[in-house]
Amino acid sequence: MIQRTDQLPTIELDGRQITFHPGESLLEVASRSGVQIPTLCHDPRLDPAGACRSCLVEVEGQRRLLPSCATPAVDGQKVTASPEHSPRIERHRKSLFSLYLTEHPGEDHPDGVERGAPNKLVRAAKAFGAEDWGKLENLRDDLLGDRSHDENPYIQFDSDLCILCAKCTRYCDEVESVSAITLAGRGSETTIATPDGRSLLDTTCEMCGGCVAVCPTGAMGEKKPKTHKMPVEAELEKVRTTCNYCGVGCQFDLNVDPAAREGGGEIVKVTSPTPAPPPPTPQPRGRTGGSTARTRCGKGRFGYDFLHHEDRLKTPLVRGADGELHPATWDEALAAAAAGLRGVQERHGKDALAFVSSSRCTVEENFLVQKLSRAVFGTNNVHQCAAT
Amino acid sequence: MNDGTKSRSEERTRKRGEVPDQLELAGGMVPGSAAIVAAATGDSEAHAYGVASFYSLLARPEKKLRVCTGLSCRLRGADEVLSAAREAGLDAEGYSCLAACDAAPAVLKGRETLPEVTPEDMARTGGDWQQLVSSSPRMQTVEGAPNWFGDVGSYDGPLVFDLPAGESEDTSALAAAAELGTPGVLDAIEASGLQGRGGAGFPAHIKWRAVAGMPAAPHFVVLNADESEPGTFKDREVMMRRPDLVVIGLAIAARAVGATEIYLYLRGEFTIPRRRIEATLARLSAAGHLDGLDFHIHEGQGAYICGEETALLEALEGKRGMPRLKPPFPVEHGLWGKPTLIHNVETIAAVPFIVLNGGAAFRDLGRGEPGTKLYSISGHVGRPGVYETPLGVSLDELVELAGGYTGTLKAFSPGGASSGFLPASERTRPMDYKHLADVGSMLGSSGVVVLDDTVDLRWSALEQLRFFEDESCGQCAPCRIGTRYLRDAVDRDIAGTRLSNGEAPLTHVDDAAWQMVEGSICGLGQIAALPLTSARQHFPADFPSDTPPKDSASPSEPEATK
Ligand SMILES: Cc1cc2nc3c(=O)[nH]c(=O)nc-3n(C[C@H](O)[C@H](O)[C@H](O)COP(=O)(O)O)c2cc1C
Ligand code: SF4
Ligand code: SF4
Ligand code: SF4
Ligand code: FES
Ligand code: FES
Repeated sequence: MIQRTDQLPTIELDGRQITFHPGESLLEVASRSGVQIPTLCHDPRLDPAGACRSCLVEVEGQRRLLPSCATPAVDGQKVTASPEHSPRIERHRKSLFSLYLTEHPGEDHPDGVERGAPNKLVRAAKAFGAEDWGKLENLRDDLLGDRSHDENPYIQFDSDLCILCAKCTRYCDEVESVSAITLAGRGSETTIATPDGRSLLDTTCEMCGGCVAVCPTGAMGEKKPKTHKMPVEAELEKVRTTCNYCGVGCQFDLNVDPAAREGGGEIVKVTSPTPAPPPPTPQPRGRTGGSTARTRCGKGRFGYDFLHHEDRLKTPLVRGADGELHPATWDEALAAAAAGLRGVQERHGKDALAFVSSSRCTVEENFLVQKLSRAVFGTNNVHQCAAT
Repeated sequence: MNDGTKSRSEERTRKRGEVPDQLELAGGMVPGSAAIVAAATGDSEAHAYGVASFYSLLARPEKKLRVCTGLSCRLRGADEVLSAAREAGLDAEGYSCLAACDAAPAVLKGRETLPEVTPEDMARTGGDWQQLVSSSPRMQTVEGAPNWFGDVGSYDGPLVFDLPAGESEDTSALAAAAELGTPGVLDAIEASGLQGRGGAGFPAHIKWRAVAGMPAAPHFVVLNADESEPGTFKDREVMMRRPDLVVIGLAIAARAVGATEIYLYLRGEFTIPRRRIEATLARLSAAGHLDGLDFHIHEGQGAYICGEETALLEALEGKRGMPRLKPPFPVEHGLWGKPTLIHNVETIAAVPFIVLNGGAAFRDLGRGEPGTKLYSISGHVGRPGVYETPLGVSLDELVELAGGYTGTLKAFSPGGASSGFLPASERTRPMDYKHLADVGSMLGSSGVVVLDDTVDLRWSALEQLRFFEDESCGQCAPCRIGTRYLRDAVDRDIAGTRLSNGEAPLTHVDDAAWQMVEGSICGLGQIAALPLTSARQHFPADFPSDTPPKDSASPSEPEATK
């Protein structure tokens, strides 16, 4: 149902009247109307945690600053969200991010700040004038990280970059329903861990990489970009594509380092497009949006090594009379395959042949495979590996 | 309301509440225990592990002896006891306040608190923790178990709690409540002016009426007996001496707000008070006084933050005790999302008196604010203990009851670590909610700690900061990092070293404190800087290297709780 905007409730935001749809949070109203509020623990797919405290705003009549991500807009509310309009918000952001930096390597990290993903904290700290208050020593365990030598090939956790926004654990719980990782410990020693500190491979983890995708600091990151000291994400070229591992059709971005391989370019990681802004009316959270909502499995996210692998075939090979494989043209290769298939058919009959296609094929390709099988070779022995 | 049939999903949810207990049975945080508990409760293994690692008693199951290193205990030799334990080859650790500050230094042996333990007691164990006994004269045998009561007294006659009188079988308040009916009980609570005794001082009747009027069902009543504020042990003494008042108060409250299920959350170190409560429950229910009510006792596993009401609810639900965002408040969205009335032990135990004698009788006992107050007092006084007085006595009056000062008064905390420090010049100020808030302190849990002129306030502030750093739940950055930042700064100030950027250690503590007050989710982070800011404000001489604060952090206000 379309509501006329003059009937919608309004809030006053930094002096402007803004209409909203009942159920929207102050953060949603603000971002829709161009008022920038920093967030670190917010994600539209997760229940608001209100834990990072970046998004606090002033609401008239409330003694305390309130987290805009977790506070519903109320008709007639007067809200101040920008430092230019409120010295209290200005002091809040400056002191909050200064405090965060005491426990965070900021730009001093030996491996550079943005080893894996962009570091939202460092950007916010710069934007709001955070100061150097000195550094505290990191007491927290890296149960998944370097110090534990977790042998899983893809995911690495660095506690010194982690700001405990708990997006990774909440994503794993609320979106993936896997619960492989948890907040562990208490107080300043709180960290992210697996049960009994085991390797991720020995947990319920499905290697979906969602925890990596939602992490605002790169603390939960991909091993490869971290250990290979890849350029920061901002310097990579993104090529939007559709995953062809299966039929769900997840969208993602191949991140290409254009300078790699002597300027030939190399895919160094796979990320997901930023989810579309939340619709103005409240939606059930969690597994909504299917293929467009960044949810993706481990194959799409991590299974790209073959692309540049030195063993990867780049031209067809045909086995010669010497028993060895020799590079060939497509025409030669197809002719050899056709001759082989025809030979089997002639010697052993039509049903001696069977055709199996891959779940990585499109519907059209699958159609063509069964056409080839039935119309060209005259057998009904055709199967697709996802059909069982 | 509750017809006794629970849906499957509700049963699953409730099963999850058993996670902490099951973890205790499985031996705490040891390899494999999370998997066992996950299988037994249907929760995920990672959640169970996260819970085990959160609670001190579960996270370090190998520690059998825990020496309280709270301020009151350190004033009375806790450090020597801890080093004697280590010299004797015992694997002991320092631990947060055990609610036994009147019997300092206190030691937790397994789950049992021992009073007034000496270094000699530790030496006598011969390295076997099970051999530890306290040679304190306070040890007596009650109901077959090693047991002890603290010193108690009252200002003028039996008043409301009459702690010295001991448990009585007087159940007439139940009959009086039945006669008054719900509206009458609610009116009496309102007329009494009873305020929450857990720390926030919120008017009780507002919460009672709110829960009673909530359409969602069922309703719950929860007893907050997590008493962990350093310097506070009054709830312990109420449960030890007047468990009848607690149980009867709960029954009256439940009937008034339409609840049939009552959850008692006792800190896990309260093994002895728990036995008293259980015995009373058994007696009163056998006599038919508790018909139609279900009492569930739940043990804490060692986390101060679980005294915060929403963290307590999370703990009851079997999770890590991390406070929820408020609003919504528990009266609307409490245990398992249902309307819930949560009260401190002392608040609940005042209910029978109010119902029997009328609200006005209670109200008139106070000086300015209504009712009497149980003050815990420890530190440099003659007879530390729990004393019942009109709400609003001064420190001087209270100390007179408690055997007088044992040295020259220098400073005191009127309401536990959370109330910061006040100078001796405030010794005649009425210790009530308003008068203490006026000077940037608070009545809080009314755990009074008295410090004589041998005590260095920078050192005292450091001890309190360390407590808050250990006990922060870690959820929000202002508190998680702020408590550590302040403790580190004071450590450096004492050591004479500088910040990593070369600045003087206390350069940014005011800004950090401001951020903790403004940015923290719950009361812990909001007040955790107060020991330091108040010590610097009132005792600048104890911070020799410090330049006086320019504009000190705004006096922190405890959050309004409902
Ligand atoms: C950090 C923190 C610790 C608290 N600890 C306790 C406690 O140990 N016992 C208690 O009764 N209330 C405690 N409270 C207060 C509770 O949140 C809540 O206000 C109280 O249980 C409500 O009961 P009342 O209205 O009877 O005071 C604590 C609050 C905070 C912020
Ligand atoms: S990769 Fe996916 S399943 Fe594994 S821990 Fe991260 S979010 Fe959970
Ligand atoms: S690893 Fe990343 S997502 Fe997880 S808590 Fe730390 S900063 Fe947040
Ligand atoms: S203020 Fe401290 S104890 Fe409270 S929620 Fe934040 S981190 Fe936890
Ligand atoms: S984004 Fe709102 S508190 Fe983190
Ligand atoms: S019991 Fe040791 S300080 Fe309270």
